[in-house]
Amino acid sequence: MSSIEKDPHEPDLAPLRAALKAMPMPAVDEAALRRVFRERRRADTGGAGATARKRTIKYWALAAAVSSLAVGGVVGLVRMTEQRAAAPPIAAAPPSAVAAFQPLWYSPQVVPGAAYSVVRVRIPLSSLALLPDATADGMIEADLLVGEDGLARGIRFNGPGALLVSKASQ
Amino acid sequence: MTDADPQPEDHQDATLLVAIAAGDEQAFVDLYARRQADVFRFAFAMGRSKSLAQDVTQEVFLNVLENAARFDTAKGSARGWLFGCARHVILDRLRLERRWTDALPELVVEHDGDAKLLTEQRVGRLHAALTRLPVEYREVLVFCDIEEWTYAATAAVLDCPIGTVRSRLHRGRALLATLLVEGEAGARAAPTPVESGVLQTREVCS
Repeated sequence: MSSIEKDPHEPDLAPLRAALKAMPMPAVDEAALRRVFRERRRADTGGAGATARKRTIKYWALAAAVSSLAVGGVVGLVRMTEQRAAAPPIAAAPPSAVAAFQPLWYSPQVVPGAAYSVVRVRIPLSSLALLPDATADGMIEADLLVGEDGLARGIRFNGPGALLVSKASQ
Repeated sequence: MTDADPQPEDHQDATLLVAIAAGDEQAFVDLYARRQADVFRFAFAMGRSKSLAQDVTQEVFLNVLENAARFDTAKGSARGWLFGCARHVILDRLRLERRWTDALPELVVEHDGDAKLLTEQRVGRLHAALTRLPVEYREVLVFCDIEEWTYAATAAVLDCPIGTVRSRLHRGRALLATLLVEGEAGARAAPTPVESGVLQTREVCS
């Protein structure tokens, strides 16, 4: 029991505890809960294709980060050992989109016929924090599918070639 | 002081988790209605941001949907499992967003008198100081002093010995007192060792 050993000179968190307990809670949107549940169940029971789709964005980010680090390391090694001027085959590769948009977890569904914008963003690899002690200097490029309401619907990470271009341009 | 495993309550939670794993939609709605406020309050206490708390709450229950089948009554209480999940989500978010502190006193609302204003200011200062603590101290204070869990229940969620909970609680309270004194003295010009220590947070319980 924490209160038994509490020093009387130590701060009393009772007012904060009371304020937190008195906080109004967000309303429970039961319809939204049921919708999420059904969507998740559908994804779970949709076969191998659905299983692959239910992989989260984290795995995409992890895969992209790992490939960028790995390819970047190889390119660096090649440049150090061979020192050739004609080395840029990978860096010159076009930053083509290699993956379809992955739906974001909490965003509304993509509706056919609606207008969307594609916004390209660059995210520091270090901010992904998916790798232990990740301190990579590079950036990862991604395209966000943004609806008219300003909310992102999906994300598409660009391929290793784009990552290298991004990294080299820093 | 409440236990993380109050038998009747936890039995209901455990039953709901099992039902969710079996595909029971109503069980998911029921568990959300029962525990949403607890998870939200925990996340808000840790991060001092309502938007962060809402995001964390959503993510926790999405995790419940995906991982309810992994819950095992032999390994611990349902509430401990749920809060263990919430803890991981909030720590991930804090790391990703670098949201170690939040200068906005979101608890301060309208006031109609000096006494109420003083109370709100005191609560705001307390919460601000709490969120400046290193996460390993902060979470122990939130579990033991805010949520009023037992040492044993807290140790189970943090997956560490009870002695570790006790020592962190002691140090956390001492640091909190120091921060409060510093805050009152207005000594906030330079980052304190505590603030820089926050960024070194890592799991030390294993």
